[in-house]
Amino acid sequence: MDRKIFLNEKDMPKQWYNIQADLPNPLPPPLNPATGQPITPDMLAPVFPMNLIEQEVSRERWIDIPEEVLEKYLMWRPTPLYRAYSLEKYLKTPARIYFKNEGVSPPGSHKPNTAIAQAYYNKVFGIKRMATETGAGQWGSALAFACNQFGLECKVYMVRVSYNQKPYRRILMETWGAKCVPSPSPDTNAGRKFLEQNPEHPGSLGISISEAIEDAVTSKDTRYSLGSVLNHVLLHQTIIGLEIQKQLAMIGEYPDIVVGCAGGGSNFSGLSLPFVRDKIHGKKIKIVACEPSSCPTLTKGPYVYDFGDTAETTPLLPMYSLGHGFVPAPIHAGGLRYHGMAPIVSRLLTDGLIEAKAYTQLETFAAGITFARTEGFIPAPETNHAIQCVIEEAKKAKEEGKEKVILMNWSGHGIIDLAAYDAYISGKLEDYVLPDEEIKHLLKDLEKFPKPK
Amino acid sequence: MIKGGEFPPFYTHAMNIYCHQLGIIVEFSYCISMNEGLPCRNIIGCYKGRTDIIVILREKFTDEELRKAFSGTPKSRIERIMESLKNKE
Repeated sequence: MDRKIFLNEKDMPKQWYNIQADLPNPLPPPLNPATGQPITPDMLAPVFPMNLIEQEVSRERWIDIPEEVLEKYLMWRPTPLYRAYSLEKYLKTPARIYFKNEGVSPPGSHKPNTAIAQAYYNKVFGIKRMATETGAGQWGSALAFACNQFGLECKVYMVRVSYNQKPYRRILMETWGAKCVPSPSPDTNAGRKFLEQNPEHPGSLGISISEAIEDAVTSKDTRYSLGSVLNHVLLHQTIIGLEIQKQLAMIGEYPDIVVGCAGGGSNFSGLSLPFVRDKIHGKKIKIVACEPSSCPTLTKGPYVYDFGDTAETTPLLPMYSLGHGFVPAPIHAGGLRYHGMAPIVSRLLTDGLIEAKAYTQLETFAAGITFARTEGFIPAPETNHAIQCVIEEAKKAKEEGKEKVILMNWSGHGIIDLAAYDAYISGKLEDYVLPDEEIKHLLKDLEKFPKPK
Repeated sequence: MIKGGEFPPFYTHAMNIYCHQLGIIVEFSYCISMNEGLPCRNIIGCYKGRTDIIVILREKFTDEELRKAFSGTPKSRIERIMESLKNKE
């Protein structure tokens, strides 16, 4: 059997799939935190163009992909589906493992599937310029590429620590004509406020988001763009799973297990939503979202500072946001919500249509190294979470003696993340419990820290 | 290696970590101060098993500071957007 399954360009899907049409329990409308009332489309109009807001709230099952977007997709789509023969052999598993290589796009990840669509919809709405934030740089480079394709200006606020440590991402953005600035920047009120406090402020994702939104709402013909979480972003990514369904049908396969990594939920959703639809309609299929155990939004929720009892005598407990009555009633009413995760993914988890697993950074980097040394491609660090899950499932199939079909989204390559691999290979990321002496040393050093104002 | 702004680096590589939000290796000094001088709300999850992070937090921050850093529902992206819009009004 072939190692790669290619789909002809003419067979590339012409529509995106909107899971909102099939959800057993519809998503509740997002609430305005200031009023507690549902957010209406016109409230979002200063931030997003109306054509994307319409997609955000659409309940139509299939949404046509515009010709102009399809043309751009053809630069790298359809992406190949690989049979991971070498990994299978290494694991001595009877499972058949397939991975969809989304790392072949110009910026090297799945992100341009929505960046191209968003740039197009902004362009036809009359927008001339887009603003966004980026942490790792994957999204910023994808939007820079997409804006360049549609002749839009692009401004990216990149968290300063990331900007300083990942010059190649910045260079990618600038090569595609975007303006990438370290955040906090002197370009916005939000940025200036933080720079006044500390000219060397290292930044945070929250600050970068504030800057990008401020830019969008205060600049002429400008809108904000987001690379994950929102419904329309997940919609655009479904081309991944729809292509896979055609590719697997070509070789008479169907997955028993579908695995994707989940940060904000876009690549996981792109892979899995078409298969969730099958599951809703009766297919027996296991769908797994994999996340870091350090910030387990799906498996546990983030740690919160909370009081262990009403007398407030237990000041700090490692408590998760889903415990201790922490989740406010209106959220319970609408189904559990996991901050930072796409509401659609949260809903699927709550409804039992998907499951979630969390992995430590050490085991995921080990999985990434195994993949690189068998299949050759170096994965993006977040992709390693899915690989670890695939390895676990393949070993389980071996123990059970079952010929399972395991499908994974290989969401991006790690060529620009080699510093992380270097840290892992050189032992700098080892899990290591500090001895008391070192804790004392650490505490002494912390005396130098400024106290919060 | 990045440093946490004006804060001193730490002397053990055990305190380096891969940050999933930023996609880079960061030092503990960043994690404990990036939230306007307060710790990142993921710090406990990230450092449990590496050091007694609770002891460090209790030693360095007051209850009020810790409450400010960790309590409350974390904002969803749409809430952040709405909050930014409100601030612009």
